[in-house]
Amino acid sequence: MSNPLTTLVAVLVFPGLSFILTYALWCQWVSRKAAARLQNRQGPLHTGWQGTLQPLADFIKLLVNEDITPAAADKPVFNYSPIAVFAIPLAATFLIPIQSLTSLRGWQPVASFEGDLILVLFLMSVVILAVFLGGWSSGNLFGAVGATRVALMMLAYEIPLSLVAVGPAILAGSLQISKIVDWQVASVNAFIAAPDLWGLAVAGVLFIGVAIYLVCLLAELELRPFDISEAETEIVHGWQVEYSGKKLALLNAGHDVKMVLAAALVTSLFLGGPAGPVLPPVVWFILKTTLCVLVLTNLSVLFARFRIDQMVAGAWKYLAPLAVLQVMAVVALSGVI
Amino acid sequence: MSEREFVIPVGPQHPALKEPESFLFTVDGEVVVDVEPRIGYNHRGIEKAMESRNYIQNLYITERVCGICSNAHQTAYTGAVEEVGGIEIPERAEHIRVFMQELERIHSHLLWLGVAAHEIGFDTMFYYVWRDREIVMDLLEEVSGNRCNYAMATVGGVRRDLPRDRYAKWHKMLDKLAERTNYYIKVASTEKTILERAVGVGYLGKEDMVRLSGCGPNARSSGVPCDIRKLSPYLIYDEIPFEHIVVDNGDVLGQVLVRVLETLEAVKICKWVLDNIPEGEIAVKFNPMQRLPEGEAVYLVEAQRGELIHYTISDGRNMPYRHKIRAPTMGNIPSLVERLKGGYIADIPIVLAGIDPCFSCTDRMAFYDEGKDKAWTWTDGELSKYRKEWYSK
Repeated sequence: MSNPLTTLVAVLVFPGLSFILTYALWCQWVSRKAAARLQNRQGPLHTGWQGTLQPLADFIKLLVNEDITPAAADKPVFNYSPIAVFAIPLAATFLIPIQSLTSLRGWQPVASFEGDLILVLFLMSVVILAVFLGGWSSGNLFGAVGATRVALMMLAYEIPLSLVAVGPAILAGSLQISKIVDWQVASVNAFIAAPDLWGLAVAGVLFIGVAIYLVCLLAELELRPFDISEAETEIVHGWQVEYSGKKLALLNAGHDVKMVLAAALVTSLFLGGPAGPVLPPVVWFILKTTLCVLVLTNLSVLFARFRIDQMVAGAWKYLAPLAVLQVMAVVALSGVI
Repeated sequence: MSEREFVIPVGPQHPALKEPESFLFTVDGEVVVDVEPRIGYNHRGIEKAMESRNYIQNLYITERVCGICSNAHQTAYTGAVEEVGGIEIPERAEHIRVFMQELERIHSHLLWLGVAAHEIGFDTMFYYVWRDREIVMDLLEEVSGNRCNYAMATVGGVRRDLPRDRYAKWHKMLDKLAERTNYYIKVASTEKTILERAVGVGYLGKEDMVRLSGCGPNARSSGVPCDIRKLSPYLIYDEIPFEHIVVDNGDVLGQVLVRVLETLEAVKICKWVLDNIPEGEIAVKFNPMQRLPEGEAVYLVEAQRGELIHYTISDGRNMPYRHKIRAPTMGNIPSLVERLKGGYIADIPIVLAGIDPCFSCTDRMAFYDEGKDKAWTWTDGELSKYRKEWYSK
C-alpha cells in the first residue's frame, strides 16, 4: 500500500473502520437471531428486515441515554477504559487479511509485518486488562467481583489460547498472519493435487486445535458456559454494572468487534482466511466468520454457566495439557526437530 | 469480621430475586461465610384488610396474596371458613377444587424449573420449559377463564363446573405435559453442566431440616416426608392414589427431582379426577350477608411451596374477627440460611431460588429494637399517636 490515499481509504472505510463496525453489528444480529431461534424465540424482528437494524438501533439508543459516573468511581480510569475496550480489538482487526483494495483477488491486510500474530494475541490480552480496570474502578462491589473473575478467567484460558494459535504458525514457518494464510492455501492446493497421509494428519491435529481455540474464545468473549464475569443472576452483569449511556454503547460495540476479531482469527489461522474459489476474498471472509459466529452461538446456548472454580480447574486440567500435546504434535509433524 | 471478608447485599433489588427482599452476605473471596435475611419489604396489610370485608369479598383478597399459589390460598381460606360455619360442600366441588389445586401445582413447578435453569445460566432450558408450561396455562384458562387468579373456589363449593365434553381434550393435554416433564427429568439428571451446578450445592441433611422445620418440596428434598396431602388429608386426597415423593439428595438436584416428580404425580391426580368425578351440584348457597357462628378453625393445605396454614376466628358477624395466614416460605427461611452458608457466591441465586421463595405471601412486620433487644406490638391508637407526633415535629 504505497499510495497514501489508498491507505487512508483502507483504514477508514474498507476493509478498516466502517466495514468492521458494520460487520460487527451484523455479527451481533446473527448471534442474537441464531440464539433466539435455537431457544424457541423470535429474536429481533421489527427494525429493518427481520430485525437486522436492531443492533444499530440499540447502539444509537444507548448513545442518547443518560451517562452516569458513580461518585465512588475512580473517574479517569472508569471513563477511559470503555474507549480502550472498544479501540484495542478494532486496531487488531487491521492486521487481519480481508480484501485488498488494489486487486480483486488479493487479501493484503491494512498492516502486515513479521510477528503480527504475536501483536494480535497481545492486544487481545490487553483488552482484558482494560476490562479489569473498568470493573475495578467502578466503585461497585459487583463490579469488583466481576473484575476479579475476569482476571481469574484470563489466567485460565490465556495460555491454551496462545499455544494453539502458535500451531499453524509453526507449520507455516512464520508469525505473520498473511503468510500463514498463504501457507494454508498452498498446502490445501497441494493436498487436492496429491492427497497424502501427512496432509490428513495435519488436518486432524489442527482440528483438535480449533476445538480448543473455540472453547477458549467462548471464555474470551464471555459467552454462555463461561459468562461467569458478567453472570446476570449472580453479580448483576459484573464488571459492566455501573456503565450506562455512551460508555455502555462503546462496551457493547467493543464486544461485537471482539467477536469479529475472534471469528476472523479462527478463519485466518485454521480456515484458510479469506481465500476461496470464484468469489472475491471479502465474501469468503464474511461467509467463514459468520460460520464461526454461528458455531460460537450454538455452543453458548447449549450449556449452563460454570462456576469460576470449576472453570479455572477445568481449563488447567484439560485445556492446557491438551493444548501442549497439540503443539507437540504439530512440532513433530512439521519436522522442526 | 476479618480483614478478608466483606459484605455483599443481594436485594432488595437484585436480578436473582423476583420480589423485593434483602439478604446480606458476608463473603470471604468467593465463599459465603454468613447470611442475614431481612423480610418486610413487601408487606401489604392483607390480614388487616380482611377484617373489614365479608366472607365473599375476602375470597378475592386471599386470592391476591400471591399470584402463583392463588388457588392454594383460596382453597385454604374457604376450607377454614366452611369449617367455622359447618358448611358441607358437594362432592363434585371437592373434586373440582383438587383438580384446580393440582393444575396449579403443575404450572408452579414448571415455572420454578424454568427459573432454576435461568439462575444457573441455562436460558435455553428456561425458554423450553416455559413454552411447555403454556399447555397447562391454556388448560387453566379453559377451565376457569383466567391464566392466574382463577376465582374458582367460593364459600360452599366452586363457581364453575367442568364441562364433560372437554375431558378427552384435557386428557390429551395432560398426557403431553407428562411426556414433556419426563423429558426434563432426563435432561436435569444427565446434562453435565446442570449436574456440575446442582449436585452437592446447598446441601442440608435430614436432621438439620427437621431441626429447622422446613416444609414442602424444600424439606422433601432432604428426605423429610411432610406432604400434608398424605399426613392430614383434606378434600378427597385420602381417596386418590398418588405417591408421596421424597428424595434424600438434600441438594439442589434433590429439589429439582422432587418438583419434577411431583409434577408427574399431579398430572396423574388430574387424570384420576377427570375419570372419577361424580355428577351433582357444584355449590351450596352462601349469602354474603350470612353470619357465621362464633368459633375458630385452622385449615392446612399443601401448596406448591409447602405447608400453607389459614387460621380464622369468627365472632358471629358476616366478616372474620381475625384471619391469619402462614405461608410456606416463612418456614423455609431458616433452612435456606443454613443451605447458603459455606457455598460460593455463584451458587447464591440457585440456592435462593431452590426453596421457591414467595416473599409477597410471607411478608409481615414487627417492631424490634436491635440495640435494646426488645420487641413490642402497637395497637391502632398507639400507631395513630405515633403518626401525629411524627408529623407535628
